[in-house]
Amino acid sequence: MRIREGIAVSTMAGGSMAVIVTALAAAWAPATASAPKAPPAAAARTSGFNPDRNAYFGDLHVHTKLSFDAYIFNVRSSPDDAYRFAKGETIGHASGFDIRLAGGPLDFVAVTDHAEFIGAMEQANTPGTAISKVPGVSRLFSPDPREIGDAFARFIGSMRDNSVPREFLDPAIHARAWKEVREAAARHNEPGRFTTFVGYEFTSAPDGRNLHRNVIFRSGDVPDLPYSSRESADPEELWKRMEAWRGRGVEALAIPHNSNGSDGTMFGTARFNGAPMDRVYADLRRRNEPLVEITQIKGTSETHPSLSPNDEWAGFEIFESYIGTNKAVTKFAGGYARDALKDGLLLQESRGFNPYRFGFIGASDTHNSAPGSVEESNYFSKVGRTDGLAPLRGSVPQGGARTWDPARRDPPRYQNWGASGLAGVWAEENTREAIYDALRRRETFATSGPRIRVRFFAAYDFPGDLLKRPDLVRQAYAHGVPMGGDLMVSRGKAPTFLVWGSRDPNGGYLQRAQVVKGWIENGVAREKVYDVACSDGLKVDARTGRCPDNGASVDLATCTPSRFKGDVELRTLWTDPGFNPRQRAFYYVRVLENPSCRWSTWDALRNGTPPNPDLAPTVMERAWSSPIWYDPKA
Amino acid sequence: MTLPPVARAILREPLTRFLLIGLVLFGIVSMGRHLQRPVVRIDEAELNQIVAYWEAQAQRPPTREELNAMLRERIDEELLAREAVRLGLDRDDLIIRRRLAQKMAFASEDLAPVPEPTEADLKAWYDAHPQDHLVPAKATFRHVFFSDDAPGAEAAARAALSRPNPLGAGQPFALPLSYAGVEMRDILRDYGPDFARKLEDAAPGQWTGPVRSAYGWHIVRVEGRSGVSRAPFEAVRADVAEAWKSERRKAGNAAFIRSLRQRYRVEVAGMPDAPAT
Repeated sequence: MRIREGIAVSTMAGGSMAVIVTALAAAWAPATASAPKAPPAAAARTSGFNPDRNAYFGDLHVHTKLSFDAYIFNVRSSPDDAYRFAKGETIGHASGFDIRLAGGPLDFVAVTDHAEFIGAMEQANTPGTAISKVPGVSRLFSPDPREIGDAFARFIGSMRDNSVPREFLDPAIHARAWKEVREAAARHNEPGRFTTFVGYEFTSAPDGRNLHRNVIFRSGDVPDLPYSSRESADPEELWKRMEAWRGRGVEALAIPHNSNGSDGTMFGTARFNGAPMDRVYADLRRRNEPLVEITQIKGTSETHPSLSPNDEWAGFEIFESYIGTNKAVTKFAGGYARDALKDGLLLQESRGFNPYRFGFIGASDTHNSAPGSVEESNYFSKVGRTDGLAPLRGSVPQGGARTWDPARRDPPRYQNWGASGLAGVWAEENTREAIYDALRRRETFATSGPRIRVRFFAAYDFPGDLLKRPDLVRQAYAHGVPMGGDLMVSRGKAPTFLVWGSRDPNGGYLQRAQVVKGWIENGVAREKVYDVACSDGLKVDARTGRCPDNGASVDLATCTPSRFKGDVELRTLWTDPGFNPRQRAFYYVRVLENPSCRWSTWDALRNGTPPNPDLAPTVMERAWSSPIWYDPKA
Repeated sequence: MTLPPVARAILREPLTRFLLIGLVLFGIVSMGRHLQRPVVRIDEAELNQIVAYWEAQAQRPPTREELNAMLRERIDEELLAREAVRLGLDRDDLIIRRRLAQKMAFASEDLAPVPEPTEADLKAWYDAHPQDHLVPAKATFRHVFFSDDAPGAEAAARAALSRPNPLGAGQPFALPLSYAGVEMRDILRDYGPDFARKLEDAAPGQWTGPVRSAYGWHIVRVEGRSGVSRAPFEAVRADVAEAWKSERRKAGNAAFIRSLRQRYRVEVAGMPDAPAT
């Protein structure tokens, strides 16, 4: 630490002060942001260690009362509560009821509160603090959902025009909250049993266009304070700061989310500052952002029906508004992951670099300190008291009415939110190191909530009897590359893909497994969705390329699915019929469940009223693997 | 130039002289007071801290203007705080009272530090708290899987039981086919209650089943099992020491409060006796 050269000692008021400053400048030893820790002891394997890797489920996008918005939403639960919830314990919801995961404990979690004004709202609501005396502050803490909405809009507005009172910027407050985040993560991390990561959200949204990222640290050795969007809204500056951290041994990665609310800016074709992209930019981006969160409560960003008109399943929990306001998104290209992967191939083809070579992950983005709370039948909102009760989220009629009055509908905001987003990783054991390494090598998958397991490998020489071998996974690793990896150059042979989905033991049955392919043909990016495995002994129809209807349905009066439809597992070897060894391509798996009741239908069922006619009564839950890429010139 | 007679008369007045001497004395006293004004001093440690906070936030050292602004703010705060104390504004203030009580509580801990526990202390604490430091129930087992997707899964599982070596009879599985020391909690979550119960009941070392899960049928061979148990003393010595100290600290604080009670008479309006500590 040094005082910048510009401080001229003689200009300091008071001679004694000058002496102090000089003494200080001499006395300060250079120090890193965090005290260096002793290197970890030689890694001892935990009891769950599996060289073939286990699927672990978690949530890397979780807000608590330390986030300014969650606090406005009346959320008072802490990072500690978030970890307790993830371990299967019961915590309180802002609306006054108790909440708990139905599907059992998660394996890993990161609390990722907004870095901007972190912890400041709680201080503002503590009598006697300087920040609580700022005029108008008390109006931020109403328990009334409508006033909460106004307070939130007001605060977002002041963030946008940079008029947030300076008391909210007090680094001492931020440091205290950041300490709470770090200590909670340290307290709850149990190698082999439950993994926590220190993390935060970088909340950049220029003109409301969402460029949010979550920053996840590999270890407890983290900077004294997060790098927030208040320092720069440009994600490139965040990556540069992350590089600087890395230089000091502080390893982190960033995961962008809600590209659907970016109005086409998350995966643009120019840099944030308007300059054209280059190889340096692409490398910087890929090094710091190996993953993209493609599904969460505020919508799914895999693809949009207008971008993938031939994908019958593209319209899944689509959210077409800006984040935090009802402004409509007008530009879908540049806002969805599949499209970005295709743009990446194009850039590679034309310019020789690809900034968009990322894996997939899902998350909840809960603001209730409730990681993994994306279970359709056990969904209790995302934003505290604002949508904590069914009438507030549009799933039951307002004011205790028993029917839907077409004239009286609230703006379709919370009703279009989906109970979606869970992260899956393939890692040897449940430790920070193993899971972080899996994130880095993109051996990750996303689900819409259920704990569906997806395996995906590609090779040119899988053994013919692979699917029947008990050591299937070991063979797959030995011969091929897993999800997130790169295929080697083909010597004329088409690659074969091992596609394997396995149901959530507490969820529905699987209906079909698909491979989504994107490729470059004559300089144009193309995409195609192949059905590769069908349930119930059905075969892909050679004419349509689709699995025949397996007849699965749901009784909407009880939300009971039809019996004996769908499979426990879908497992197949698939060879790309359109493979051309000279064409750049990516492949990823999508596994679909039979239809099941959407959360809004469950709400209606419990309320004894008909489901909201504006909403889809059912969803097809799903899981997405990270892509595998093929490059003609490796 | 001579003074008019009236002025001369005024100067000769003892009252005037008295006032003049008073004025001079006042001047001297004020000057003295001015010279011994109380000092507001930002010491080295604090300046260090101010700059460190800045650097943590901005990731660069402050400029001269920025440091001056921070110092100005800090000095203003100090002046206002001192003036507030001088005027007695700290009295009857909930926040200040709480903070002082908190500081006193910490200080009392420093005044009477908790001694290091002896081996006997730790053992006694460990024996007296059997519900702490529990190790969850675990199992080590292999299983062979027969998917519900294939017809006759249960019959196939039954048939495999009679083979000398059932391994290899079933199908590949998305979850591990062998587990070493897995927590029963995870088995319950991933396979369901029937399967978990089977693991708890099965005789070790032999193939049993079939048992149903959310995926199909399984035959199981339990190799080892441990119920909920107490972590051995040696393994949790550090945790026990921490718990012992925390208990002692709590007891020390309570004793300190009791001793304070003896030094004060506590009265609560409308109550014959204040609540005991």
